Amino acid sequence: MLLRVANLIVKEIIQFARDRVLTLFILLAPTLQLILMAQAVERGINEQPLVMMDLDHSYLSRQLAVELDNSQELDVRYYVSRTDEMRRLLDQGSARLAVVIPAGFGRKLLGASSPQAVQVIVDATNTVAASVSLSAASSAVARFSAELAASYGLVTPEFIDFRTNVRFNPTLDFRYFSIPAQLGFIIYQVALAVASLGLARERELGTLEQLMVTPLRRLELVLGKGIPAIGIGGANFLVMWFIGRAVFHIPMHGSFLLLSGLTLLFVTAVVGWGLFISAVSRTQQQAILFVFIQAMVDITFSGFLVAVENMPPFLQTISRLVPLRYYLVIIRSVSLKGAGLQELRPQAIALLALNVGIWLIAMRSVARRVE
Amino acid sequence: MSLRRMVTVMRKEILHIVRDARNFFLVTVSPAFLLFLLAYIFSFDVGQLSLAVMDFDRSSLSRRYLESLTSDQDLVIDYVVSRYEEIEPLLVEGKVEAAVVIPPGFAEAIRSGQPAPVQAIVDGADPFAGSEAIGSLQARSSVFVISRGASGGLEGSEPVEVRTRAWYNAGIKSLLSMVPGLMSIVLIMPAMALSLALTKEKETGTLEGLMATPVSGAEYLAGKLLAYISTGLVSTILALLVAILWFRVPFRGSLAVYLLLTTGYFLACMGTAVVIANLVKSQQTAMFVVLIVFIVPSFFLAGLISPISTSSPLAMLVSYALPSTHFVEISRTVFLKGLGLGYLLRPTLSLLGMGLGALFIGLRAFKKKVG
Repeated sequence: MLLRVANLIVKEIIQFARDRVLTLFILLAPTLQLILMAQAVERGINEQPLVMMDLDHSYLSRQLAVELDNSQELDVRYYVSRTDEMRRLLDQGSARLAVVIPAGFGRKLLGASSPQAVQVIVDATNTVAASVSLSAASSAVARFSAELAASYGLVTPEFIDFRTNVRFNPTLDFRYFSIPAQLGFIIYQVALAVASLGLARERELGTLEQLMVTPLRRLELVLGKGIPAIGIGGANFLVMWFIGRAVFHIPMHGSFLLLSGLTLLFVTAVVGWGLFISAVSRTQQQAILFVFIQAMVDITFSGFLVAVENMPPFLQTISRLVPLRYYLVIIRSVSLKGAGLQELRPQAIALLALNVGIWLIAMRSVARRVE
Repeated sequence: MSLRRMVTVMRKEILHIVRDARNFFLVTVSPAFLLFLLAYIFSFDVGQLSLAVMDFDRSSLSRRYLESLTSDQDLVIDYVVSRYEEIEPLLVEGKVEAAVVIPPGFAEAIRSGQPAPVQAIVDGADPFAGSEAIGSLQARSSVFVISRGASGGLEGSEPVEVRTRAWYNAGIKSLLSMVPGLMSIVLIMPAMALSLALTKEKETGTLEGLMATPVSGAEYLAGKLLAYISTGLVSTILALLVAILWFRVPFRGSLAVYLLLTTGYFLACMGTAVVIANLVKSQQTAMFVVLIVFIVPSFFLAGLISPISTSSPLAMLVSYALPSTHFVEISRTVFLKGLGLGYLLRPTLSLLGMGLGALFIGLRAFKKKVG
């Protein structure tokens, strides 16, 4: 049996290598994606365009504008005096938010009886940007308030001296969060893409029938297709990791051996699922569209775009079936926190369990298609 | 160019799509299905952050402080520890997002009007959660201070109040932002089906058969385009039904304009797909390239969740080179702002430019290969 599997593996590798363009792409495209994503990853949300409608034109209102501009999240870019101008800028999407200072603001503040109100209007078509901009604007106003109070002798002592110590990523650099995750996504994509075309292509080109005439048994076919894919996935991981460390300086506080082992576990699960996809698809086109759908679903359920705890409970359960979710935790924990097997036991067990389930399904689906 | 021949090609293509149930699902129904699944992930806005606390002071004041931190369920105390060494593992394992340490002498400091130190140790591996944790803790600390001030008769009031209004999405609900945005992702599917159909015909050799007929290259491409655009519009309408009827996202703009602009989006995506299909030999490679360079980046770079990065020219270039970026803007503007073409000139022209340009290149390359 081993010999037959080995033969099939060699055939797969030869076929793979023959398609030069594909081999090139498998090396280049992920690297390209990593570079693109790393370049574009937002270091937090900054410089949101703000339109100022200052109806007061006093010293204090100008001070408030300065305080707003000092926030790194905000950038006072437009000054208008009419509501319809402000509305147009928001409608066009040229400004994310508008701050309206009513007439008499400065004068009434100095008279200081009741609090003066400033209106902040935010474009909420992008809720993340809206929340960040709103809280930045509120903070800026709070700072302005506090300085005003202080300068007029109304002292608000800071009762609580809040000292923060940020672990693992002291500068809260978003890149340390995003780049390991991007790596995880890339490893996922390559493994899935390579595995999922295994059988569909042969069926479409007619070479599957030829394979069926050989003494190959179902298990051997699955292994013969799966092992090269796992190998390619693993090689891809090594290349990407090297690039990640050398070019993007991803920190690595944990054990590389552990990471490789767990990556292998992850790649195996993804390849198994890819084989399942290739078995149930009648044409390559179907397999490919299936892969696209699978990728969209897995990326969304992975916990990167939305934290798992923030998902509706029913969907949290579904996300437990997504290997990518565990792998993102693994890669981030090992690289940033130096986590060991002890801490990652739940993830490792989950991946093991998923592997068992996936490969059972894959085997059965291959059986049904092939015999 | 003969209209009749083009329509014949179109009819043949539509028959292909409709005949196979699986194909039909993948091309026409999958966008609506995907939207249904993916949008649910974003429908929850509330998230909870886990805390570990270590209270060395154990005074009634420190207990009240801790209570005020968790009063609104956004922060939850999951662990109470008594030694520093217990904190680190909790952070590494991801069991808590932050730890709050209250040193001895907390209550005394407050009572004597001195600043009372409180330490927060925050998991920075996820900068989003980390900065949210810091922000929440600081905000609640301020509230605690202010409430003390009010009861203690302190002049700690804020002279300036902020009144906020959110436009287009008054409740700042992420569902309203994500559903229109996700339309651009799920509608990639019909576009990709076209590119795959093209490569498949090249690969299986049926293209040569077609070339023996009087159908010209332009008629062939146009016929195929029309077929996939019309089925694409059907899938758009299905997806819109899910968005409006199921998720109850308001649709404030004009349906006709939306469908028109969706066609533009299809043109851009399909044009890109045609160019890719011409460049690569096999469907497998085509899939690979589309997945890695087009679909996955669209999740992260199209302004879907965090707004487009303006941090570097390269980042902006990459984002604006993706058709999805423009369609996210179009979709949100029509859905939530209810505006028309007048406000959407830039994205519309970008998509048209991309589409026509790509199709032009694709057609010339196609002619060269076949003619």
